Amino acid sequence: MKRSAAEIVREYGPFAGVEAVHGVTYDGTHVWFASGDKLSAIDPASGKVARSIDVAAHAGTAFDGRHLFQIAEDRIQKIDAATGKVLSTIPAPGGGGDSGLAWAEGSLWVGQYRERKIHQVDPDTGKILRTIESKRFVTGVTWVDGELWHGTWEGEDSDIRRIDPETGKVLEQLDLPSGTMVSGLESDGADRFFCGGGERGNVRAVRRPRRSSR
Amino acid sequence: MESLITAAARALEAGDPLGALNRVALRNDAPSLALRGIAMAQLGDLAKAKTLLRSAARAFGPREAVARARCVVAEAEIALVSRDLSWPVKALAAARATLQQHGDLANAAHAGHIEARRLLLVGRVDEAERTLAGLGTPPLPPASLAIRELVAAGIAIRRLRTRDARAALGRAARAARLANIPALVAEVGSANLILDTPAARLIAGGNEHPLLLGEVERLATSTALVVDTFHHVVRRQGVAVSLGTRPVLFALARLLAQAWPADVSREMLIAGAFRAKHADESHRARLRVEVGRLRTKLKPLAEISATKQGFVLAPRKTRDILVLARPVEEKHAAVLAFLADGEPWSSSALALALGTSARTVQRALDELARSNKVQSFGHGRARRWMTPPVPGFPTGLLLPTPLLKT
Repeated sequence: MKRSAAEIVREYGPFAGVEAVHGVTYDGTHVWFASGDKLSAIDPASGKVARSIDVAAHAGTAFDGRHLFQIAEDRIQKIDAATGKVLSTIPAPGGGGDSGLAWAEGSLWVGQYRERKIHQVDPDTGKILRTIESKRFVTGVTWVDGELWHGTWEGEDSDIRRIDPETGKVLEQLDLPSGTMVSGLESDGADRFFCGGGERGNVRAVRRPRRSSR
Repeated sequence: MESLITAAARALEAGDPLGALNRVALRNDAPSLALRGIAMAQLGDLAKAKTLLRSAARAFGPREAVARARCVVAEAEIALVSRDLSWPVKALAAARATLQQHGDLANAAHAGHIEARRLLLVGRVDEAERTLAGLGTPPLPPASLAIRELVAAGIAIRRLRTRDARAALGRAARAARLANIPALVAEVGSANLILDTPAARLIAGGNEHPLLLGEVERLATSTALVVDTFHHVVRRQGVAVSLGTRPVLFALARLLAQAWPADVSREMLIAGAFRAKHADESHRARLRVEVGRLRTKLKPLAEISATKQGFVLAPRKTRDILVLARPVEEKHAAVLAFLADGEPWSSSALALALGTSARTVQRALDELARSNKVQSFGHGRARRWMTPPVPGFPTGLLLPTPLLKT
């Protein structure tokens, strides 16, 4: 297992009226973050909030190319990114104990925080397709280049780790400075992760390690 | 953080404890227990709240030190508000250290304020002041600032530093308004009343009149001979004779001072100091002995001379004698003074605060209850006492609500 310190390349926020960030996603242009009663889109170049949608947003956030998915209480809402309308909802697999959310390969991937699990879920029905065990509280989930990464928080420490999707084995780990929280994780598809800063109410960009084999 | 926990925490912060309960009512994981505890506290069920918070502290994992410490602080605050003073102080101090270590300075300060309020309540003013000073002045949310100034004002009032008390209360009022918590604004208001309500009675030359705290403070610089019934001391400026351990001598001194410049008959002295209805020869003999002892004690301050029918006091180096007494003197004035804060007290907490036995306090409370001066609620160990004119139970809880945001 490779282990190194996370390299924080940029911090966004804090933002007016935002107490805590609960989920993060990226739509190719904007970084979206969930802050309780709204989803906000920031321009990663300027760091300015471009628009926001008033919708219950208590945990993970994901984007499938057209829709935003947002966990609120014990369900996952499917939101039209253009209009901000909630199109449908499915039950969240953790019954409200859900944290991170990602979209990949036609499935939703949902972190179940204290159960230390990641569920693969059918986005239409909410059916659990399979479950991956982690070792830590799961705070955010993302897929990039066939790699499954998730954020953790336990005992005042956070890291971003790549795990084997079959076995749950930790393959690589990026440690954040002590007391720095990852709440919500998303890759930009290239060399950055965006992570929520929990009760700091900010969003951080962390460098994704380059792999020589790629 | 988890979805439902976030939703419940937000409901709590928005002042909707029922909404919070709705979301976590059936869950028994650590954060849910903590949220349920805080919601129950806000709904006024302090006993249930305490149990839930204790379970939450146990349920948080060994590595979730901050969450656990915040539960301990919340439980301590509930104990303070319900006047459960036997609550383990060490656990609170440990929680405060943990919060400090992990950079949660606001909640660490909150823990310190709870410690200081407890010390103030049980009359350990020096320790309360040290605790408050030890907290330094980290940047705090307005509600916490208000509490800090309230504690500072409480210390100043006990120290008879009226001007400091008023200044601290002024700052507390501003902070409470900023925090926008009506209960807190009201608490500062009632603290202000203390400064405008007679704190003592002055008896001099057979007359008496009420004194405000500020006037009591000014009295400290008076050149008169003062018989102070609060501290059981006879003093003139820097010279003080303590009679705290000699109640009979103090009673005699007070009787002589109240009558001054007139004398007091032997019968009155015997009745007043020995609580004897009929004076016989043995009482007269005892009076001679006790007056002799008092004469020796008071030598630096006053002379005691025999008159035809009794004794008279003659002060040295001053032409005034004043008696400083409680505003209302009755048998259980000290018990009533504690209950006058309008909070529910347990008899064991009162015993701790008064430094007497639980039995003595219980007898006093029973007697006061018979004359409707106090009322009780609850049974057994949960029984609480308070003075009648208080509507409901003011809680004044400022629980560390961001219990679950980390």
